[in-house]
Amino acid sequence: MGERSEPSSSSSDRRSDGVRLMRERREPRRDSDASWLGVAALVVLAVVGAAVLPTLTSARPANEVPVGDVGTNATDPAAESWTAVPSVELALSSAPSGLPGASNVSVQHAQVRAATNDSHVFVRVTWPDETADRNASDLREFADAVAVQLPENESARPPIAMGGTSNRVNVWYWTGTGTTEELLAGGAGTTTAFNQSAVDAEAVHEDGEWHVAFTREAAMAGNRTDLSGEQDVDVSVAVWNGSYGERAGRKAVSEWQYLAMGPGPQGPPYETVLWTVAGLAVLFVAVVTIEGVRRTRGEPS
Amino acid sequence: MSTDDTAQDGDTHVDIADGIDHQVAMVMDLNKCIGCQTCTVACKTLWTEGGGRDYMYWNNVETKPGEGYPKGWEDSGGGWKSDDHSERQPGEIPAKERYGGDWEFNHSEIMYDGSDEPLRPQNVDPEWGPNWDEDQGAGEYPNSYYFYLPRICNHCTHPSCVEACPRKALYKREEDGIVLVDQERCRGYRYCVEGCPYKKVYYNAAKKKSEKCIFCYPRIEGEGPDDTVHATACAEECPPQLRLVGYLDDEDGPIYKLVEEYEVALPLHPEFETVPNVYYIPPYAPPGHSEDGESIEGVDRIPRDYLEELFGDRVNQALDTIERHRDRVERGEDSELMELLQDKNPAQQYRLEVFDDG
Repeated sequence: MGERSEPSSSSSDRRSDGVRLMRERREPRRDSDASWLGVAALVVLAVVGAAVLPTLTSARPANEVPVGDVGTNATDPAAESWTAVPSVELALSSAPSGLPGASNVSVQHAQVRAATNDSHVFVRVTWPDETADRNASDLREFADAVAVQLPENESARPPIAMGGTSNRVNVWYWTGTGTTEELLAGGAGTTTAFNQSAVDAEAVHEDGEWHVAFTREAAMAGNRTDLSGEQDVDVSVAVWNGSYGERAGRKAVSEWQYLAMGPGPQGPPYETVLWTVAGLAVLFVAVVTIEGVRRTRGEPS
Repeated sequence: MSTDDTAQDGDTHVDIADGIDHQVAMVMDLNKCIGCQTCTVACKTLWTEGGGRDYMYWNNVETKPGEGYPKGWEDSGGGWKSDDHSERQPGEIPAKERYGGDWEFNHSEIMYDGSDEPLRPQNVDPEWGPNWDEDQGAGEYPNSYYFYLPRICNHCTHPSCVEACPRKALYKREEDGIVLVDQERCRGYRYCVEGCPYKKVYYNAAKKKSEKCIFCYPRIEGEGPDDTVHATACAEECPPQLRLVGYLDDEDGPIYKLVEEYEVALPLHPEFETVPNVYYIPPYAPPGHSEDGESIEGVDRIPRDYLEELFGDRVNQALDTIERHRDRVERGEDSELMELLQDKNPAQQYRLEVFDDG
């Protein structure tokens, strides 16, 4: 691009310099048109991203236990269908029950998988224990055990230690002796068995691990936690190593988690809010920056 | 039980547990025990035959000095760390072998089939059992010694078994302080077994629940087949009638007088701090003997330090009191204490209806 080809640039070098400058400024102006397109795209991205990104990211929200869809029956803890269900590893620690030796427990972690087939809910707990303690028939013998704790009222989180008087818990309790109990508790020492248990459990012990699968009908009412998928439901687990003298309040327990079985975006509501806020913030900064640059160059807005 | 009782009105000098109307109590005179185990059999026949209870003796009689039942129970922990009852002493669950097994014997072969085999447990070679060391005792000839110690649950004023239970399945009955295990609440965790320093709570592995002496409460309530109030089976069946049964806060009864007034009836191992309601008249043994069989005055055949180990320092005062009263009777004087210790009037020996209504 030569000066001669530019009709209005003959008056002075200075001017032609100016023209050149103007021309140079025009290039970014075309870019800025494009950037408005970009802004529009960003808006779309931010909104879509807020909804989609959380599900794309591999990181699960803290405390979530995803609920897989097994389609069929998963009462057998060794069933093939379990392999397709995501597993969550829970850290366990001693429950501060005040019982002798309460702080001395042997199991540090448990894996939890949850699934549904529309009619039933299945919760499988896996934890390491070299000895399968299946008896309590000697005076000093205690059976291994595992419990899944759920709030009686799905929309209120009860105190972690066996619930509270006004905020009770359902406990699904399996012991190595082969018994499964469905319990109701409103605080430590108050566990009471339901007359008729609605919970079944099957267990296998292999390669130094217990796998216990609990099964219960999903939709239930009364004193029983409704697991029909209306909303997310809090859940915690406890395990007992019988040969380590663990029983009652001497147990390894998790914090509250939640079964992500409610409708809508997976994850707690604040997560969607946070993603939207972050997207809008990026958008806002971009718009302000572009606008700032334009004004600096004296362009009409 | 009466509700307008003296204990609640604060008229009594007896310390009974908070929230308890009256407190059942028993005094056993160890000077009368012949070790016949009739009490043991009476209790077992009535309460602990079969159903996972074979190894249990809610009432047992052991030889002292001796390992006892279960073996070494005195060193098995439990009870309280001090008399403020704020912190419990850790305890252990004794191994089954320390109680002994429920062995089958060749009774029928010997009694009915004419076998001349010796009576032995069949198909087992036990190494310990209740009374394994019976009559063994301690000391050197000619001053070897032993005595029998019948034991039931002490129905303590500060029961550490009750405190040990995370489910409050054990409780002290309001009307009479009997310590019971609520079989509905018990989940077989056995913290009560390790928490009791006397090892008088037992785990029933068949029922997966703990069980214990119930102070024959249906008998003392008159709920038996004959609708009549009875003392505990261990007391009524005792050939030498060494037990007094009644209420500690019955100030007109012999138990109150022996425990609170004369202070000659003492709890076993008071250092466990559970404050038992079963009391013992300590054994009053003859003096030590010389090699040629002469009495050595001032030397006790049963060493005082051993009796102090069992009954605490107060045993010295108790034995001195008994000796003083014996001397008094020997001189032809009266002694209410000696009368109480010899009384065979059942109305006095068993005073179980003193607080009844009407």
